[in-house]
Amino acid sequence: MKKLLSHPYTVLVTRVFIGLLFVFSSLDKIVDPSAFAQSVANYGLLPSSFPAIIATVLPWVELLCGFAVFFGVSLRGSSLLLSAMVVIFTLAVMSALLRGLDISCGCFTQDPAAGHIGWTKVVQNTALFALTLFLYFSRTTKFTLVEYLQKSGTLQSQS
Amino acid sequence: MTRLLQALREAGVLLLVATALGFIYTAATEKGLFARPAPTLPANTAGLLAPTMVTRDQAHAYFNSGKALFIDARHDFDYKLGHIRGAINIPLSIYQTKKAVLDTIPKNRLIVAYCDGAECNSSIEVSVKLAKEGYTDVKIFFGGWREWMESNLPIDKSP
Repeated sequence: MKKLLSHPYTVLVTRVFIGLLFVFSSLDKIVDPSAFAQSVANYGLLPSSFPAIIATVLPWVELLCGFAVFFGVSLRGSSLLLSAMVVIFTLAVMSALLRGLDISCGCFTQDPAAGHIGWTKVVQNTALFALTLFLYFSRTTKFTLVEYLQKSGTLQSQS
Repeated sequence: MTRLLQALREAGVLLLVATALGFIYTAATEKGLFARPAPTLPANTAGLLAPTMVTRDQAHAYFNSGKALFIDARHDFDYKLGHIRGAINIPLSIYQTKKAVLDTIPKNRLIVAYCDGAECNSSIEVSVKLAKEGYTDVKIFFGGWREWMESNLPIDKSP
């Protein structure tokens, strides 16, 4: 396990995948916060003024964390934040499914024609959670911007 | 433990930056939380025919029919720089002084009012005034000058 956590290529591939995934999923929401707020409101979990605030902030958290994970900057903080978010998203999806709501996810696209939530979403999110947790515990700075800057002497090595 | 604390600190900074960016962006682009409420029109009440919104294509069709009178509700210097071909200028600010011009227009004439585009309300205000004065066929081309220009439709420039 220790070996896997410090394996540079496994960590790199996971970083690129998770990073790009969250950057791309944030774009649609940033372009149309109102549609995303509607998606959030559809879950029926929050008082009326909250979805608009979430739609203002959350896409940017996804974008920043996506970039941070991609470049390996603040990797622990960003992967921790992402895993917490994935847990909250999954709980929201599960509660909607248990209440029998037939709503679209609002996860990657705000297109109302996109498929509706199902238990596959929960499985997908569990896998995502595992990957973000993996990044949190990963122990290599190889192929990160931090490593590059340290090598070039711009950043002082911390360890 | 220090690792978790460091991660939490990083996550906190990411959250703060994302919140700031989210609010700045949505406020600057007037999206989502900061979206302006859609303009509302007075409902059709007895004896008063409320103006209706028309799209660029409809406005163009009215233009081609030759029956519509276009009213430009912008300031006269904007009008002089360019306006929809054949449009007359009745700026909202000096609406009252244009009585003489208005008196020459039959009450049942098809009128299409417009201003700059989505950022202005004067086309709505002018058309509401017209409807109150008894004009029965008033349309608002809300896409306005900007949409007309972007579509390269016929324009005039005053010397």
